[in-house]
Amino acid sequence: MTIRVYALSTCPYCRMARKYLDDNDVEYDVVEVDLLDGDERAAAIAEVKDISGGTSFPVMLFDDEIVVGFNKKRMMELLSL
Amino acid sequence: MSADHARPRRRLFAEGTTIEDLKTYMAPFAATLGYKLNTESEFVDEVLASELEILADTGDVYCPCRVRTGDPKEDAMIVCPCIPFHMVQFAAIRKCWCGLFIRYDVEDGGELLGVIDEPELGAQVEVPVCRVNDLAPGQTKHVKAGKTDYALARVGDEFYAISNVCVHAFGPLADGVLEGHELACPWHGWRYDVRDGTTNHPDADVAAYPVTVRHGYLWLTCAL
Repeated sequence: MTIRVYALSTCPYCRMARKYLDDNDVEYDVVEVDLLDGDERAAAIAEVKDISGGTSFPVMLFDDEIVVGFNKKRMMELLSL
Repeated sequence: MSADHARPRRRLFAEGTTIEDLKTYMAPFAATLGYKLNTESEFVDEVLASELEILADTGDVYCPCRVRTGDPKEDAMIVCPCIPFHMVQFAAIRKCWCGLFIRYDVEDGGELLGVIDEPELGAQVEVPVCRVNDLAPGQTKHVKAGKTDYALARVGDEFYAISNVCVHAFGPLADGVLEGHELACPWHGWRYDVRDGTTNHPDADVAAYPVTVRHGYLWLTCAL
């Protein structure tokens, strides 16, 4: 499974979600959107809006499944934990 | 100046602003909207510490869970507390997006941390819109919840809500004169009965909405 996490460095729920993945030894790519500048930042925001329909964080892709926010129950289901 | 900094900087929060300063500043007016700081004090401190980082970087206390897009209008809607912009959604999930603020009637804010499933679009949601003590007898007050503007009116100890928009020329009814149960539009004097929104002009009634009084707050039922 390919997992990508769009996160903000300032966001408590992003930290919780990443900690949950780390604690369960799950590998993932992370894009810290607020640490990007210029075109990279604009592109990342556009991706987040396209994927989730908003600008809430974290936004996580588990292959094609989308999880917005620290939804532990849904993460457990998708990771079969 | 980058697009990120297009909004004016908050002079209110000077260098050296602390977490306690933010609590002291925000809590009173969040209370007017029916919210209080989360009962999970460590979580509150974590969120506000993030807001202080954002303040130092951008000049304002943006929500740490939402991204600044550089669009001044979008960014204004995530300045903490962002409750006024999301009254119906927050009433439905009983907290703000990040959970820094919880609805005043929630006893354990810890149970709301993480994701709360919102009711489906169009669901009816009870929304706290005003403290009883903020509306004296004989007074009116404008509130906005979702996309609707309401004129609240208090007659004695009875509370009413009608549309804030006069059907004649779209005048702001809450700025009008309340005499008994009649509210006169401030622009041309069209008169509406706050009990049911009726007027003496043909086909010119405005919508009236039931008001519930609970634990010192006025609640309206709004569509999500």
